[in-house]
Amino acid sequence: MGQMGYYENDFEAAMLKDSAAYYSRKASSWIIEDSCPDYMLKAEECLKREKDRVAHYLHSSSEPKLLENVQHELLSVYASQLLEKEHSGCHALLRDDKVEDLSRMFRLFSKIPKGLDPVANIFKQHVTAEGTALVKQAEDAASSKKGEKKDVVGLQEQVFVRKVIELHDKYVAYVNDCFQNHTLFHKALKEAFEVFCNKGVGGSSSAELLATFCDNILKKGGSEKLSDEAIEETLEKVVKLLAYISDKDLFAEFYRKKLARRLLFDKSANDDHERSILTKLKQQCGGQFTSKMEGMVTDLTLAKENQTSFEEYLTNNLNANPGIDLTVTVLTTGFWPSYKSFDLNLPAEMVKCVEVFREFYQTKTKHRKLTWIYSLGTCNIIGKFEPKIMELIVTTYQASALLLFNSSDRLSYSEIMAQLNLTDDDVVRLLHSLSCAKYKILNKEPNTKSVAPTDHFEFNSKFTDKMRRIKIPLPPVDEKKKVIEDVDKDRRYAIDASIVRIMKSRKVLGHQQLVMECVEQLGRMFKPDFKAIKKRIEDLITRDYLERDKDNANLFKYLA
Amino acid sequence: MHKLGRSHRDKVQQVMAITGASEKVALQALKASDWHLEGAFDVFYSQPHIRTYTDTRHLEELYQRYKDSYADMILVDGITLLCNDLQVDPQDIVMLVLSWHMKAATMCEFSKQEFISGLQGLGIDSLEKFRERIQYMRSELKDEQKFREIYNFAFGWAKEKGQKSLALDTAIGMWQLLFAEKQWPLVDHWCQFLQARHNKAISRDTWSQLLEFARTVDPTLSNYDAEGAWPYLIDEFVEYLNENNIVQKSQMEDPARR
Repeated sequence: MGQMGYYENDFEAAMLKDSAAYYSRKASSWIIEDSCPDYMLKAEECLKREKDRVAHYLHSSSEPKLLENVQHELLSVYASQLLEKEHSGCHALLRDDKVEDLSRMFRLFSKIPKGLDPVANIFKQHVTAEGTALVKQAEDAASSKKGEKKDVVGLQEQVFVRKVIELHDKYVAYVNDCFQNHTLFHKALKEAFEVFCNKGVGGSSSAELLATFCDNILKKGGSEKLSDEAIEETLEKVVKLLAYISDKDLFAEFYRKKLARRLLFDKSANDDHERSILTKLKQQCGGQFTSKMEGMVTDLTLAKENQTSFEEYLTNNLNANPGIDLTVTVLTTGFWPSYKSFDLNLPAEMVKCVEVFREFYQTKTKHRKLTWIYSLGTCNIIGKFEPKIMELIVTTYQASALLLFNSSDRLSYSEIMAQLNLTDDDVVRLLHSLSCAKYKILNKEPNTKSVAPTDHFEFNSKFTDKMRRIKIPLPPVDEKKKVIEDVDKDRRYAIDASIVRIMKSRKVLGHQQLVMECVEQLGRMFKPDFKAIKKRIEDLITRDYLERDKDNANLFKYLA
Repeated sequence: MHKLGRSHRDKVQQVMAITGASEKVALQALKASDWHLEGAFDVFYSQPHIRTYTDTRHLEELYQRYKDSYADMILVDGITLLCNDLQVDPQDIVMLVLSWHMKAATMCEFSKQEFISGLQGLGIDSLEKFRERIQYMRSELKDEQKFREIYNFAFGWAKEKGQKSLALDTAIGMWQLLFAEKQWPLVDHWCQFLQARHNKAISRDTWSQLLEFARTVDPTLSNYDAEGAWPYLIDEFVEYLNENNIVQKSQMEDPARR
């Protein structure tokens, strides 16, 4: 009593068989006549009805078996045909943003074994295609720009990043809603983004584009004018995109360089935002990623305190006072990007400033060496022009050049260069900013658009502007090449360290495995190139850290 | 010898005449090879520690003949004289083999210690014996294991003292010399490739791995493993060969098979 033998053998088996046959017939005609969404609606309806039937007049144990049968006949058998239907299949639904149909598709296909794999695959292909199209669009726009400023990240690239963020938002929503947060779809999204997010645009890598995008949001007068909330949100999204970029170390370096400029030239719009993004970066990429940047921000805070002590020192030592208001920012070398320091010949007035500060600094610490980076300084100087007196905000380099005209009315390019002791590149740049740009403080002879070594310069006493105080910008040198060089150098060290670490613990390891483990260890920051790893291995062999096994050249041994 | 049969006696005589070994040693070699003459030669030549008696006074005299007038070692002039005496070209590869026997630290000079112990190891204490051993030294190059040792020795010997790597020109010269013996068909392409693309010194690892490459990978590169641990320079060489169509890219997809 109570056993299901008769039910199962005499009734259920036949019922299941007939149901299967029934649905098989139905499906074979539906698949031809109906669009994918319509078919799915019918399928869903059928499943619901069968479920109801079981509830009404069958034993509950039949439910899973019956539903499985129906699912098999309606879905498994026709899965690929359904998904690949030309105008209504999965691709089309994604293209036309048919969210509801996609949700249904998810619900149905999640019931059949391995049903979601092809759906996730199509999703991945779709997102990849959309992303790649964005890249191409931006690339086309960038290359159609005529000549000028090819190396500078422009508006098109900004727009591109915005669009990628929007694309990401859109499809994350899909993953969360239609695809119910399923890991397969998270993975598909990630892989899709990894494909196109690593493509550069207009000669700039995606790492650089993201860093510049952040810079524009965080700096004063940046191209993005957003509310605080919007800024926070956007920064959050940018950090999420960073996860897809393999050259994270390159991003870090570009970001650091731009952060330095913002901090040193007082271009940072909002301290809180600066700290906030660093926190987000730290969460995503680890403390090591942001430690230097945090150090930079701290340095500025310390610098303010230091300045207060310096001013006190000056009030207490009146004869030490250089006669000029001086603000010094002391930077901790390890945190900041490396800057070349040139031996600029300072005007006499400034030389005293440097000495005074040096003496003061000696009273604070005896064991530190101060290296002055004049290329980063700014100066406010008073220009006594005939129309009216004006205040000019310039860089130290520009100020040094202008002050030369206090003792000479007219100077040649070579005289200026000799007196300042700077390179041609720097001299051309600074003279250009003073004589060929918006504000012509100096008159150039001949009055051409660019500076030549044969030019002569004179103080333009007639210069004026409606403002009393103007800023004369000195465009920065293109840092891109240097950043890439620095990052490559750091990568070589990182690869070396990783190989040594792995070999030290494993003692003996085959080539393939060593490379694999190295790639894994370094993956958080960048994707090491196989050739680069090989070169480092060979270098380490030459430096006697490793040797090849005598019998198997593919095996390496650690040399203690 | 009394107990030996006539044919055996003959064989002992032959071995003694050809190898210069003593009767006792000749007998040993023949017994070890079951009285096969060729086997006996193999046995004799494969024993590196066979030291026939060498007269130290004679060795000292030989050394004095070649020694430099100022330094207590044999330098370029002495070596030229030695080559003359041996009727061997100074560029002849047999000089490399000789240096290997001496464990000479660097080319174009032999310390007294190196010279004397090297000659002792070879059983030489006179010019006559020296000349006789030349043929033997040449034959050593045919032995795979010895060739490898000599090849690897050449790196340290040919490079500048105090340098870790071997200058490219010297390396190319050595390779051409060594592979003339070994017959590697790609040697010229290798040298051209280096001059065109590399232009830097050669590391010890690249040097030794090149021999393995020449030995194990066939000239059509059909068994070259791109995922292997070949030095990066060798990978580049393979790319160079493919790019310049010196070797056809491996035909993995046979269109006829579709």
